[in-house]
Amino acid sequence: MKNLGLILCCLLLYFSAQGQVKGVVFGSDRKSKEVLYGAKVKLLKGKIGAITSEDGRFELILPKELPDTMVVTAIGYESDTIVVTKDDRFIAFEIILYSDQLLPEVIIQAKRDDHSISRLKILYVENLGSGELKKAACCNLSESFETNASVDVNITDAVSGAKKIHMMGLDGVYTQIQMENIPYLKGLESSFGLNSMPGTWIESIQITKGSGNVVNGYESMAGLVNIELKKPKEMEAVFLNAYTNRFGRAEVNMNSGFDLTKRLSTGWFVHGSTTPTIVDENSDGFRDIPTGTNFAVANRYKFDGKKMEAQYGFNAYLDNKTGGQTGFRQGKVSDLYGVALDSKHIDVFVKTGFFFKKPLRSLGVVYNAKYQTLDAQFGNRQFIGEEKRGYVNAIYDGIIGNSSHKFKTGGSVVISDLKQVLDSVDASRFEVIPGMFGEYTYTGPRLSLVTGVRGDYHSIYGPQVSPRLHARYSVSEYADFRIALGKGWRVPNYLIDNISLAATSRSWVAVDTVLPEISWNMGGSFVQRFRFLNRKASLSVDFYHTQFENQMLIDRDADPSKVVFSNLSGRSYSNSFQAEMSVSPIKNLEVRLAYKWLEVRAEYGGVLQQKVMVPRHRGFANIGYETRDLRWKYDITCSVFGKSRLPIAQISSNEFTSGEQNTSSVYAMLSAQVTHVYRRWEFYLGGENLGNVRQQNPIIQSEDPFGNYFDATRIWGPVVGWNVYAGLRFSIKQKKRNEEKKKSS
Amino acid sequence: MKYLVVIISLAFTSFGFSQEVKKTMTSKILTSAICGDCEERIEGSLNYMKGIVFAELDLDTKVVTVKYKTKKVSLKEVKKAITEIGYDADDMKANAKALNALPSCCKPNGKSCPPKKKN
Repeated sequence: MKNLGLILCCLLLYFSAQGQVKGVVFGSDRKSKEVLYGAKVKLLKGKIGAITSEDGRFELILPKELPDTMVVTAIGYESDTIVVTKDDRFIAFEIILYSDQLLPEVIIQAKRDDHSISRLKILYVENLGSGELKKAACCNLSESFETNASVDVNITDAVSGAKKIHMMGLDGVYTQIQMENIPYLKGLESSFGLNSMPGTWIESIQITKGSGNVVNGYESMAGLVNIELKKPKEMEAVFLNAYTNRFGRAEVNMNSGFDLTKRLSTGWFVHGSTTPTIVDENSDGFRDIPTGTNFAVANRYKFDGKKMEAQYGFNAYLDNKTGGQTGFRQGKVSDLYGVALDSKHIDVFVKTGFFFKKPLRSLGVVYNAKYQTLDAQFGNRQFIGEEKRGYVNAIYDGIIGNSSHKFKTGGSVVISDLKQVLDSVDASRFEVIPGMFGEYTYTGPRLSLVTGVRGDYHSIYGPQVSPRLHARYSVSEYADFRIALGKGWRVPNYLIDNISLAATSRSWVAVDTVLPEISWNMGGSFVQRFRFLNRKASLSVDFYHTQFENQMLIDRDADPSKVVFSNLSGRSYSNSFQAEMSVSPIKNLEVRLAYKWLEVRAEYGGVLQQKVMVPRHRGFANIGYETRDLRWKYDITCSVFGKSRLPIAQISSNEFTSGEQNTSSVYAMLSAQVTHVYRRWEFYLGGENLGNVRQQNPIIQSEDPFGNYFDATRIWGPVVGWNVYAGLRFSIKQKKRNEEKKKSS
Repeated sequence: MKYLVVIISLAFTSFGFSQEVKKTMTSKILTSAICGDCEERIEGSLNYMKGIVFAELDLDTKVVTVKYKTKKVSLKEVKKAITEIGYDADDMKANAKALNALPSCCKPNGKSCPPKKKN
């Protein structure tokens, strides 16, 4: 027994032996070489550093994560970098820095990109930072993706103002949206949820293509979008934003973050917006934009303890919208076609994290509860929805041996009571889904991979297993190759997921049994970084294939007078290819170009064909310029949408759309924004849809909304024309606590 | 003849201009900045100073490149502005009071502030 203890001790010692590097730094000019005193030696990843002593010597304890880059700098000398690997442990370096007068003057500059693809992450993750988010000043989450090519935002009908994201040409319901790793915008929020999250609350957004990792659920089939809200510690002490546009929309946001005690900090978020003016520029008698008001508030706390860390908070909103004919008023009886939406939501979350005595081990538990009601009226159709949802997820993080081998394991429970009734169709469901998962991460010098599996037991549909695999291989210092493979599934809520399709006279043909949707996604990406005109540039190419085993198919081609919901019987798949290049031809100017090719096909109307309203070709260009004093920012974005297929529609008793009418036209959306920055103030002025593109007749038979042929869902382009907006931001930063003062107090 | 006079006078005016002190100057000042916070502080304060076209700090070399209008501000004033927020500027020492007010991670021999999340 004693021996065992000894062996264990030895083992522990062995594993914790991290090694160190030693060395001497010399400075050299043409004539002589001498030891350098006060040179800085820094490990980039390990974030530790040392300063050389009088005899030029330094010593560093190596962190566990190797290889790392060691940077040696000294004033008057050219900096040098050395890659330190495991084999360099206990080795002494002799580093010679050359006087900067020997070499032509080189100015090294590092710039933080607002839009970047993380090199270190194994998954292909695109990050949209606050700079990127400010490029589209208005208004909520759905606009946040406007300067991004991977995610498309589509209007789903011409009357309710609902917007949905699309990834890889697949509907937003196949993309799992989460707020700080808690599943979000699910259930009743799948159709209108994007509008409920104010843009000024968001710190950053991470977009993962393909199936995400298993830790946060089984529902990422086409992609995973994670939203990070501003953090109490890092957010502004006072932030104000006011916005108004040509259509009379007014919006006010206020955020504030401050410390309550030494360990507890809080952040408040308040949002109010209103669109009071009725706009009907295409004179079809219908509001082009729904009118209404929206109020949202969130409050969050963060506690940093010695052994644990906790975050908790809530988020609530009220949203009331009126769409439809201009004369329609909510609550007043009339024979006009109207759309009324009333949504109330409250969400509470608690996150706790415990650290263990041994490093790199922690336990995190996430609790989330949500209550929402949604009442919607589309003409004579009435939708009533109520959702209660509880979610618990526990994650244990650990390492096997050393930090090259990490694992996560844990379990989750989802309890959901979803009531959804559209007229006489009731698709309410109560479900309990316990699940377990395990994930292993290997980090090597070139190859890194994450593989995981989760098993869930759905109280109605039984067990489902979803395996996932992601790997990254660094071909060179500047090139990464990634692959992703995984299964995802979800149980469709076909009423609320497709509530926009209620804005038509077509009758709904419901399915008798709802089955879970299951898909496999596989794909790969290649990212190459290079120097172009001596500035940073990158090129990325990716291709993903999604194959559905089962899908809730929405067939608008089978019969022009019906929308048919059915479980998949034939094939359904999607292929998506995207190429994106980002270059900086002159200082502070960034140009990003992207092209996307989408093939989303299934058997519609008995024929294997492209899904309606999904353009095959899609182009994107974004140009951003910042003056050298950082006080003016210019941004132009152009999105080009290719032709897409439209479903056949009946216009009158014996007339159907045909030929050209069943294809959308190619169009481009142009937007631009100028921002002027003062110390605490920022003013912005921008325009959207500057080409004034509008879909002609977005509503079929708008003169007879209760007739047999009315259809507001055959929408592929913008309903409203050009828009100009202006606004301001005011911010006061939080004072950084002086650590010494903290100690004394 | 008329033209010749014009040309000559033009030539003189241009000559005259080049004799004047340059309207804008670009100078490099070595500071004691050590981290991103310092960079923000120095750039943020200089970029809003009257007469400064732009100020860019390179953290690796600690050199701030300042382009300024000579009529409105002098190099000495720029350096003084840097010292007033707590940093050395070439041979001028930082204002002790301002230096003291800096967060400890930004002070000389500080460990440099924790890097902000790359968002």
